[in-house]
Amino acid sequence: MTGPAPIEYTGVRELRGPLVVVEGVSGVGWDEFATIVLDSGERRHGLVLDVDRDLAVVQVLEDTAGMNRTGTRVAFSGSPLRIPVGTGWLGRVCNGRGEAADGGPPVLGVSSAAVGGAPINPVRREPPNEPVLTGVGAVDVLTTLVRGQKLPVFSAAGLPHLELAVQIADQATCGGEPFAVVFAGMGLTHADTAFVRDALAARSAARELVLFVNTADDPVIERMLTPRLALTVAEHLAFAEGRHVLVVMTDMTAYAEALREVSAARGEIPARRAYPGYLYSDLASLYERCGRIRGRPGSVTVLPVLTMPGGDITHPVPDLTGYITEGQIVLSADVQAAGAYPPVDPLASLSRLMRKGTGPGLTRGDHPALAAQLIAALARSRQVAELADLVGRSALSPADLRHLELEDAFRSRFLTQGRDENRSLDDSLDRAWEVLLTLPRGQLGMLPAELLDAHAPPADEEPR
Amino acid sequence: MDALDPVRAELLRAARASADAVLERAREDADATLRGARATADAVLARARELGGADGAAGAARERVHAAQDAWAAELAARAEVYAALRDAIRAGVRRALANDAAASSAVTAAARDALGPGARVTAAAEGGATADSPGRRVDLSADALADRALDRLGARAATLWEPP
Repeated sequence: MTGPAPIEYTGVRELRGPLVVVEGVSGVGWDEFATIVLDSGERRHGLVLDVDRDLAVVQVLEDTAGMNRTGTRVAFSGSPLRIPVGTGWLGRVCNGRGEAADGGPPVLGVSSAAVGGAPINPVRREPPNEPVLTGVGAVDVLTTLVRGQKLPVFSAAGLPHLELAVQIADQATCGGEPFAVVFAGMGLTHADTAFVRDALAARSAARELVLFVNTADDPVIERMLTPRLALTVAEHLAFAEGRHVLVVMTDMTAYAEALREVSAARGEIPARRAYPGYLYSDLASLYERCGRIRGRPGSVTVLPVLTMPGGDITHPVPDLTGYITEGQIVLSADVQAAGAYPPVDPLASLSRLMRKGTGPGLTRGDHPALAAQLIAALARSRQVAELADLVGRSALSPADLRHLELEDAFRSRFLTQGRDENRSLDDSLDRAWEVLLTLPRGQLGMLPAELLDAHAPPADEEPR
Repeated sequence: MDALDPVRAELLRAARASADAVLERAREDADATLRGARATADAVLARARELGGADGAAGAARERVHAAQDAWAAELAARAEVYAALRDAIRAGVRRALANDAAASSAVTAAARDALGPGARVTAAAEGGATADSPGRRVDLSADALADRALDRLGARAATLWEPP
C-alpha cells in the first residue's frame, strides 16, 4: 500500500438533477475529479463544480439516476482529471469520458497527463508550415490546412459538415510521415455515431485513429471533457511520440451549449445569449493547444466543426471562434442547393496560414498563384452575376460572359467530388487549371507567364 | 433488230449500275453499322469490365476492412478477458495474502483506524481487510479495494500481457 488511504465522504446532503451536494469535506478544490460509489457497488465519476466551507457540489458524469442519499460514497482524487497517455489509444473507440466502448480493456498508458493541458511556452512555439492533405480538392487547393494550424469549419443545420469532417478524418495524410487522427464527436445522435464509427473503421483498424464519442443523450459535463481528452491524447502522440496529429472536433456548438448549461448550474452571471462571459477564453484554451514545438518532431492540427444557429455568423460561438482561429472553411446552403458536395463557399473561406504550407517543395510550384487566381476569378464571376441581374446578360461583354460561366465550371469540374473520393493534390490542381483555362489568357493576370505558357494554349489558339 | 434496243440496253445498263451502286451503298452501310455495333459492343464490354473490376476492387477493399476490423475487435475482446482474469487473480492473491498473514491483516486494520482517528468504527470485510467508518466519512481497505487500486497503479505494465515488454 502506498500513500494515505483515500477517504470517502458519505454525507450526501442533497441530490439535485446531475448534482450531488456533499457535506463534511475538507481540502477539496474546484474541478477536482471525484469517484462516486453507489450502494450497489456501481462506480460513477464526477467533477467538483463548487466548494463552500465543508460543502462540495459535484456534477456526476453519468447522471444521478438511481442514486440514494444514504449509501452513496464520494472520494476526491486531490487533482483535476488525469488520463493515461500513450500509443495504447490508437485504434480505440471510447465514450466521451475516455472509457472503452469497443469491448476492449481500459486504455492503459505509460504516463498520465492532466486533461486541462499545459499551455505551450510561446517562445518555444514553431510557426506552422507544411500541409496536411485532406484529399478534398476544395480544402487542399483553396484553404490548405497547415500542420499546427487551427482551421474551423463553419456550417449550419442540414449541411453535410459531419460527412466532410469524417471524410477529412478518413483521408488526411502528412506526406508519408507518422500520422494519426483524434476524432472527438460531441452531442452526436446515435445514427451519426454509427455513421462515424462505420466510416472511420478502416483507419481505426489501421491503428491511426482515436475516436471519442459523446452522444446527444450523454450528460453535458461529459461533453465538456471530450475535447480536452482528445487534445490531451493528441498532444502526447504529437510531442512525445513524434506523430503529426489532426484533431477533428465536432460539434463545437454542442460543446458551447454544454458550457452554458454547466455555467448556469454554477450560478454564474450569463453574458451574450446566456453563454458565460469566459466563452472566448474557454474556446481559446482548447484551440490554442494546437501547434508545433521547437525541437520536437510532431504537430497538433485542430479542425473544429461548428454549426451556426440559424446560419448566423455573428452568433457568439462562430464569432468568438473566428477571433481565435486562423481562417475558416464556410459551408453554404446555396452551394448545397446547387447540388455540389462539399458545399464549400470559396469566397467566404480562407486559410490564413496557407502561404506557409504551399508552394515549391511543399505542395506544387504553381499552387499559390493558381489558388489566388481562382479566387480572384470567382470573385469577378460573382460580381458579373450581380451585374447581369441588373442589366441583363445581353449587355455583358464577352469576357464577362466567360466569367459568368466560370462558376458552373468551378462547381461541376473542381468543387464536386464523391463522399469517399480521395482526390490527389495533382488532380485537384489540374482541375483548377481546367476551370481557369475556360477564361481567355488575358483574364489570368495573376498567373506568371511561364506558368501560363506551360499550361495554357498559345493566345491565338485559345477559345474565343 | 429493234430500233429501241440501244435504248433498252442503255436503260438496263443504267438500271444495273444503279442497282450495283445501291447494293454497294447498302453493303457499305451494313459494314459501317456492323463496325459501329462491334465498336459499341467492345466499348460496352470494356466499360462493364472496368465497372466490374472497380466493383470487385471496392468489394475486396470493403472485405479487407471488415476482416481487419473483426480481427481487431476479437483482439480487443481477448485483451479485455485477459485483463479481467488479471484483476481476478490479483483480488484472489490479496485475499489469500491477508488470510494467511495475520501481521498484514492487522496492519490494514490499524491503517483504517489511523485514517479516520480513534473514534472510527472498524469493521472486518468479508473478503479480508477492513473498512472504517466515522460520521460522514469512510475508508475502504477491503481486500478487493486494495487489489483494484494496485491494478490501477500497474498502468501500462498490465499491457505486457498482450504486448512485448
